[in-house]
Amino acid sequence: MLSAAIIMAGLVVVTAAQEEDLATVSAALAPRAEGLIIARCSVCHSPDLVAQQRLPRARWEATVEKMKHWGAEISSDEADLLVRYLSARYHPGAPDHLPPLDSELRKAEPLTQEPLAEGPVTGVATRGAGIFEHNCQGCHGTGATGGMGPKLAKNPILKHEDLFWETVLHGRGPMPAWGSVLSHQDIADVHAWLLSK
Amino acid sequence: MTLSRRSLLGRLLQGLGVAVIVNRQVPVVQAAGEEPARNESGPLTVRVARPFDAETPVREFRPFLTPNHRFFVRSHFGPPPPDAISEANWTLRVGGLVERSQEFTLKDLRQMDAVTITAVVQCSGNGRAFHRPKVPGVQWERGAVGNAEWTGVRLRDLLAKAGVQAGARHVQLQGADRPVVASVPLFTRSIPLEKALHPDTILAYEMNGRPLPLLHGAPLRVITPGWMADSCMKWLTEITVQAEESQGYYMQTAYRVPTQPVESGTTPNVPSAPVEGMVVKSLIAAPQEGETVKSGPVTIQGMAWSGEVKVVKVEVSFDEGKTWEPARLVGEDRPYAWRQWQLVWKAKTAGAFTILCRAADASGEQQSAMTPWNPSGFLWNGWDRVSVTVTA
Ligand code: HEC
Ligand code: HEC
Repeated sequence: MLSAAIIMAGLVVVTAAQEEDLATVSAALAPRAEGLIIARCSVCHSPDLVAQQRLPRARWEATVEKMKHWGAEISSDEADLLVRYLSARYHPGAPDHLPPLDSELRKAEPLTQEPLAEGPVTGVATRGAGIFEHNCQGCHGTGATGGMGPKLAKNPILKHEDLFWETVLHGRGPMPAWGSVLSHQDIADVHAWLLSK
Repeated sequence: MTLSRRSLLGRLLQGLGVAVIVNRQVPVVQAAGEEPARNESGPLTVRVARPFDAETPVREFRPFLTPNHRFFVRSHFGPPPPDAISEANWTLRVGGLVERSQEFTLKDLRQMDAVTITAVVQCSGNGRAFHRPKVPGVQWERGAVGNAEWTGVRLRDLLAKAGVQAGARHVQLQGADRPVVASVPLFTRSIPLEKALHPDTILAYEMNGRPLPLLHGAPLRVITPGWMADSCMKWLTEITVQAEESQGYYMQTAYRVPTQPVESGTTPNVPSAPVEGMVVKSLIAAPQEGETVKSGPVTIQGMAWSGEVKVVKVEVSFDEGKTWEPARLVGEDRPYAWRQWQLVWKAKTAGAFTILCRAADASGEQQSAMTPWNPSGFLWNGWDRVSVTVTA
């Protein structure tokens, strides 16, 4: 009976103390990691594909590496942080149904990469195409013609710049906030590209 | 244009099930894998919200045919944009090692001899969630499978029109679906020429007598009866006859199994082969997991199938596999389809029971308790298991 229980736990014997350590690690990394999962890992597939895995570190490393190779926009530092977080929270011994992360934790999301530029920036449409593809296309469709998110090409919001910036920087409902992920220059570039569509 | 758009929308709705509702939930971080009760995610069990992957609850498998809107959904990138596959724009090209490259419209295909085949279509990863240690991929449990009637044209009839050249060994299949970011490899597959020329391998434009729904590959998908669904290319637009197996991730890395035993939990660099034929497998559709039944006669029913051979035996155990009782094979008996089975259980004593089932096929293969572990978790066919409570 005992051996059966261990097999069911994924051949990994996780002691209570180790379990607590993993929980501490994942809680500490959660704010940044969850921010990355929403902003970076959800371009091509919804984050449920990530959360349903229960993998040892080596397989998380290989998976994150594969995603990076395929086009996930993450630096080596971010990849490293994600691997540490994912292998602490979604390890082989973790229960099938994990308690939800503290929602306060997730709101924090201090993802800042570079100091935000002050004042207005001029967008470059040609740069915006690539930024759109890697950050927005998964939801807003090829050529911004719409998908799970609304059509953005010729969308009236492009002419209401304040509303556009407000939505992109802070998100709205299912639309992620990009303020801490993209620079103002990036957002201006996407805006310029969208106007050209 | 207006007309075809409307019929496309109709197909979209037929095949969509809960997709629309589910998509709205996309950004919730704690999605499918972490929900306390899976049933809450709607009529199909959603595994991935985008691109949409969902399985059929096994209790719904009691009818011989699985209805289109209840059939499991799996794709790598979601359906292509409607314009790419609208009847006005869509064509199927046949090229490569052929005498005469061909291009077919849907109308052309409908004018050719039509064939109807009943066949099980099953995701290669069905049951992946049961492998221990766990493996990466969509965590399918039992319902990424279905049995439907597929109507279309024989692939070999198209290949005959094109004229296959000497030296051809494989037939590459490409659909119209595309990843959102161009650096992701396309879902490109190939099947050996022998399977492509098999009279039962068809390109289907109808599913259960209705136009193929968008989520199931409209307007045309491949059906390779007896083989896993990774060969059943949806949204088919290109067929290329070639000397070699297709290159690329989805043929050379994914959808392969080691050809020699590997130690559980390791990913050694050993020779591998593409996932092809299905393995013998059975499911218990009723009673369902967690059900409470009254003592007395209880009808246990389910389905069993194998690859290109027939199921010959299904057995049920109430004592964790120490002893087995034969079930009765019932209903329709068609090649490539699943076979329904029944057993009337005289549940005398109240208490908790685990019901197991296993099947054997005409080639002598029989299901084991567990499937040999493989790094990607393909071809699960361990005994099926349902826990019930009997009340006095
Ligand atoms: C450029 C597109 C893209 C991005 C960005 C992306 N993925 Fe993926 N991911 C894929 C594709 C394609 C698959 C395979 C899907 C399938 O088979 O249906 C996949 C599959 C997965 C799987 C399932 C296991 C497997 O190997 O198939 C996991 C886990 C995963 N991704 C995690 C992540 C994480 C973590 C990130 C962020 C670092 C990420 N993904 C970002 C494209 C992407
Ligand atoms: C995870 C999916 C997702 C991603 C990724 C995403 N969006 Fe959105 N976006 C949405 C959804 C859904 C809405 C609609 C929000 C609502 O219901 O109010 C939306 C709305 C918007 C709007 C407002 C449109 C309107 O008509 O009011 C803008 C502008 C926008 N997104 C821009 C972007 C940009 C720029 C990016 C990339 C940097 C991006 N989005 C990435 C899902 C996404």
